[in-house]
Amino acid sequence: MYDWSALPRGARASLSVAGLVMAASFLGFGALVRSLEVGLLPGLATTVFIWALPGQVVALDMLASGANLLAMALAVTLTAVRLLPMVVLVMSKVRLEGARRWPLYALSHFVAVTIWRIAEDGIDEVDRPQRLPWLTGLGLALMSSMLVMTSIGYHLAQSLPPLLAACLVFLTPSFFFISLFANAKFRMDYIAIAAGALIGPLCHQYYPEFDLLAGGLIGCTIAYLIGRAGRKRSK
Amino acid sequence: MSNSFYPILLILIGGGLTTYVWRFMGVWMSERVDPEGELLMWVRCVATAIVAALVAGIVLSPNAILASTGLEMRVAAIAAGVLAFYATGKNTGLGVAASVVVLFALALLS
Repeated sequence: MYDWSALPRGARASLSVAGLVMAASFLGFGALVRSLEVGLLPGLATTVFIWALPGQVVALDMLASGANLLAMALAVTLTAVRLLPMVVLVMSKVRLEGARRWPLYALSHFVAVTIWRIAEDGIDEVDRPQRLPWLTGLGLALMSSMLVMTSIGYHLAQSLPPLLAACLVFLTPSFFFISLFANAKFRMDYIAIAAGALIGPLCHQYYPEFDLLAGGLIGCTIAYLIGRAGRKRSK
Repeated sequence: MSNSFYPILLILIGGGLTTYVWRFMGVWMSERVDPEGELLMWVRCVATAIVAALVAGIVLSPNAILASTGLEMRVAAIAAGVLAFYATGKNTGLGVAASVVVLFALALLS
């Protein structure tokens, strides 16, 4: 059985470097929400319902451009596919044989880049029955803090000098782009970054509503094929 | 109120449920799938390219607030961030900080 007494200790672990980077990103995200002119409430809703910044930005970007439900669902779901391997990895570290399964499905909602990194780095020192409650406490604490940070960023964006506001907005894309390099392991990851960055804007010229989908699918297929050919040759 | 309810519903269904599907599948698959398998390699690629396309879109054609900075400043700032990331031994926090500082400095000097 899970040892739920570890929940508050997990919540306290949100005060860490990873939590700080995340707080800065959500401050920038709040400012970005402001610049999209969709209102604060949809921004907060993405933090609670989606809880993964790339998907949140895509959803709000599409809301701002008036895209329909199907286009939004397709684009967001494709950015969320990357959560699947992270969830698989986190679950393999917290699962208890014979324990109830719903806590795993509850915890999975909190799994994104930050929780995954923390689970990789710091969870081994936590006793196995305490791991799931510990991460759940961390997820709850991070999500409630990020709602506050989103709101602060949203309001700062309008009262700050324009240049500072621009820097806040810039935090999020900068963090995304650099964490792509931080998570890149194979040559195909680097090709995917370059291909997405080049093909996405190109597609934007012709199909503004589907530029992310097209950029992602075309870019990744090029990267995957080149990367696979490279791996085969090196064998 | 009906005006603000629709976007929330759209985000819940078009954003929240479509995101949770993958988390749900992750739990389900965690007993069954090889995390380093070929399928997940392709999946990683799509995700990476989409996020890269997203960032490129924001840098090249930004919304109101960010548009006050020049295109060449934003490109230089992103490049500086990546360089700083590698120069500091892959420190994400310092890379992000460097890119924002470079954007600030370039915009201030112009």
